[in-house]
Amino acid sequence: MKSLRLGLVLLLCAVLALAVTSCLGTSPAYISTNKTHKVHMIVKMNRGDYWNTVKLGAEAAAREFNVKLTFKAPDSESDIDEQITMVEESIKQKADVIILAASSYMGLAQVVDQAEYYRIPVISVDAEVGSAKVKTYVGSNGYEAGQKSAERLIDLLNGYGEIGIINFTNSTSGQTSSTGTIDYGARDADEREKGFLNYAARFPNVEVVQISYTSSNTADAEQLTRDMLRNHPRLRGIATLNETASQGAGKVIQELGPGPLKMVAFDSSPSMLEMLQDGTVQATVIQNPFNNGYLAVKYAVEATEGMDVPERVDTGTKLIDLDNMLWPENQKLLFPFVR
Amino acid sequence: MNKPKAYFFPHRPQPRRKGKLRLPSKLRSIQLIITLTFTAVTVLVAVIVSFMLYNKFAATAEANANMNMQQIIEQVNYNLELYVKGMGNIFETAEEHITSSPSIDSPLLSERMDMLMSSREDLVSVAVFTPQGKYVVGTPGQSMRINTQLQSQSWFTSAVKNPEISYSAPHIQNLFKGRYTWVVSISKMIEYKENGQIRKGILLIDFNFRTIDELSRQVKLGNRGYAYILDPLGNIVYHPQQQLIYAGLKYENVEPVLEYKFRSYLDESTGEKRFITVRTLDLTGWKIVGVAYYDEIVTTKRDLNHFLAWFLGVVIVGVIVLSILLSWLIASPIRKLERTVKLVGEGDLNTPIHVSGAYEVEQLSRRFNMMLQRIRQLMDQIIYEQETKRKGELEVLQSQINPHFLYNTLNSVIRLAERGKTDEVVTMIQSLSKFFRISLSKGKNMITMQEELDHIRHYLVIQSFRFKNKFRYEIRAEDEVLACQTIKLILQPIVENALYHGIEMLPDEGLITITAGLQEGLIVIRVSDNGLGMSKETLGTLLSGGGKSSSGSGVGVRNVNERIGLVYGREYGLAFESELEEGTTVTICFPAVKSGEGPEEGREESVQ
Repeated sequence: MKSLRLGLVLLLCAVLALAVTSCLGTSPAYISTNKTHKVHMIVKMNRGDYWNTVKLGAEAAAREFNVKLTFKAPDSESDIDEQITMVEESIKQKADVIILAASSYMGLAQVVDQAEYYRIPVISVDAEVGSAKVKTYVGSNGYEAGQKSAERLIDLLNGYGEIGIINFTNSTSGQTSSTGTIDYGARDADEREKGFLNYAARFPNVEVVQISYTSSNTADAEQLTRDMLRNHPRLRGIATLNETASQGAGKVIQELGPGPLKMVAFDSSPSMLEMLQDGTVQATVIQNPFNNGYLAVKYAVEATEGMDVPERVDTGTKLIDLDNMLWPENQKLLFPFVR
Repeated sequence: MNKPKAYFFPHRPQPRRKGKLRLPSKLRSIQLIITLTFTAVTVLVAVIVSFMLYNKFAATAEANANMNMQQIIEQVNYNLELYVKGMGNIFETAEEHITSSPSIDSPLLSERMDMLMSSREDLVSVAVFTPQGKYVVGTPGQSMRINTQLQSQSWFTSAVKNPEISYSAPHIQNLFKGRYTWVVSISKMIEYKENGQIRKGILLIDFNFRTIDELSRQVKLGNRGYAYILDPLGNIVYHPQQQLIYAGLKYENVEPVLEYKFRSYLDESTGEKRFITVRTLDLTGWKIVGVAYYDEIVTTKRDLNHFLAWFLGVVIVGVIVLSILLSWLIASPIRKLERTVKLVGEGDLNTPIHVSGAYEVEQLSRRFNMMLQRIRQLMDQIIYEQETKRKGELEVLQSQINPHFLYNTLNSVIRLAERGKTDEVVTMIQSLSKFFRISLSKGKNMITMQEELDHIRHYLVIQSFRFKNKFRYEIRAEDEVLACQTIKLILQPIVENALYHGIEMLPDEGLITITAGLQEGLIVIRVSDNGLGMSKETLGTLLSGGGKSSSGSGVGVRNVNERIGLVYGREYGLAFESELEEGTTVTICFPAVKSGEGPEEGREESVQ
């Protein structure tokens, strides 16, 4: 009898308490900024407008999501060993998540698996890495970018003529040959080249006469361009597949002065835009480095929070030429920085 | 006083009313009802009051936050207006310099322009172009790029079309070599002199975002709130996260902003509640938009929420504890009363009820006590009245004995007198006179055994004359017995019985023996005869009054038994032993009380 009454009273309490608390609402599902996330970002190179923009994007996201961002990059885009060491360090420093722009598709694969073993999620940005453990890839579609470049260059050449390509690679001293069949190249470089060549193959009168690979160095690119022009005096077009190569080749063409040589560049550093405006370069394929950096950090935080992240985030590519470079939407894309 | 401990109000269970649905009795207990009602009412009131207070406070908090925010945005709006006016002033100054200068390429003009440039940090460039898009003069003296497409740029076209000063949307300044900068351009068609000729030209002044940025950065709307600037077409002029906006990573819901010049509303398009406040600059049509996150700005509301939840919890627990206590206090006297009344219902009229508690309960208990008392009084009265009535009857009976006996005796005396037996007549009259003297005994009910035995002796003497010495008698009494009290005239009806029923029809001589003695504090009187005796059936009906004798006083024996029972208690009285043809013995038994110490005339005094 007593216990029955007590039970009833307790039940009443419980019902009332429930009624009161249920009125107070639930928390929304956005990233919690109460916790500081340790994000390590390792990119290919510590120089160049492209990687600075990636970094700026990452920093913008870091501010927004309360991230302690550690930014690391080797001096050169081809320094695979240095990148591996950096990933290993980040594992030792117990990063919450690692964002990696791999200089080599296969070269970084093992260390990524190692990070996964220590339960550190890895997100790849810009260039993919040969590991199934990667949470997500944020970047552009290299193959498509290569095709866009080829399409415009062949169009500029009216569909015939000799074409030279300046690509980039990991090989600083001919390492590629010693590794045999294993592909140690950067994935994005390979994809762009493949896209370009596959598109160009549809045109019988177009001949890709030479593909040169530059390490991450403008002077090297300049030299390769000069060599190419000397070797192929009938060259009508040059396609460059990254920022360094584009700047080197652009500089050579600018020195030569206006001529019949057409060039389609890659990426949009301010100097490249100057060349575009003064007619040295006819077009450039741009990626979205700011977005790459920003989204990589954003998804990194979401991954550590245990949210579902998409497997692949394509930030897109765009072909910019003199006509469309001042369109308001392209202005915003080309010059994301107001100050 | 021998109060019968009978149960006068036997408990009779009332038949249950059927048909009406009733809760189980446990759930209808006063305590539970009080607890639940009290709790429910208090909690309901607390919830309603909290809800009303919450709504009131929340509305006030919201209004305050809103007003606060509007003031901030108003301030920013004012500052921005000053800034835009400043830009206009600079433009006018530059225009004045140019129009007043005798020649556009005079060194004085370029010096003045340089001074103007250095006066403001946010000035990027000042330049004059011909309506055909040719560069005339500018500061700082940059060289122009080719392929500028300046004639299609908005600042150029609006200057050509519009005679007023026009403010452009933010755009990239691509005219001069060196760098690309985001600027806001002010332009207007002006006149200038070149080589003495008046020409038309377009004056362009570019401002960067430094000052606007500083102005907007001062805006603090909670931790995450911010302000941004829209141009009349909906382009974002300035946004603290402009990079994200330009990169397409962040969106502002500008459509409702564009519809009004002056507005405050709640926006939920991003999934989060945000306060939006819009003010419009008159000069440029720019809109300054304040964005504040609702949950940050209205912290009072959240605090209030927490407080109220906490408060309600405490109130509910408190109320429950309090109401249990209170209902117990109220209900326990009632329950006590109920228990006592139940005892009374079971027949225990002597249970006193002393229940303290609420006034009503106390009154109820008092009244119940009074009622009980009254019941007891009434019962006593009934007993008294019953006894008095019975006594009255007995006295009537008793008074009937004597005239009957007198009549018989006098008849015998007459017969003796007729036969001239004078001695016998004298003895008879003597005995009769003594008999009556004792019978009267000054009206007392109780007499000594001595007197009673004398009385019966006289009776027997008289009767022996009437029965012509048909019987003998013996009276033996112990000496201690003689001084004891007895009810008067208890032996006469028994002896009378023995004579009329036992001996009268006996062919032989009869014998009546009366013995009186003490046994364990009791007086035991035996009246034996050797008469006819009685059958078991007659014996059984003797005291119950069923068998009414044809002669004698009739009710005599029962009368004796009743009287002894009334005076001494039901356990005392007469006992019969009888055997046909052998005789009968009547035993009278009652407590021995010495004369002068016992309940003399006790009954009349003891009752009231």
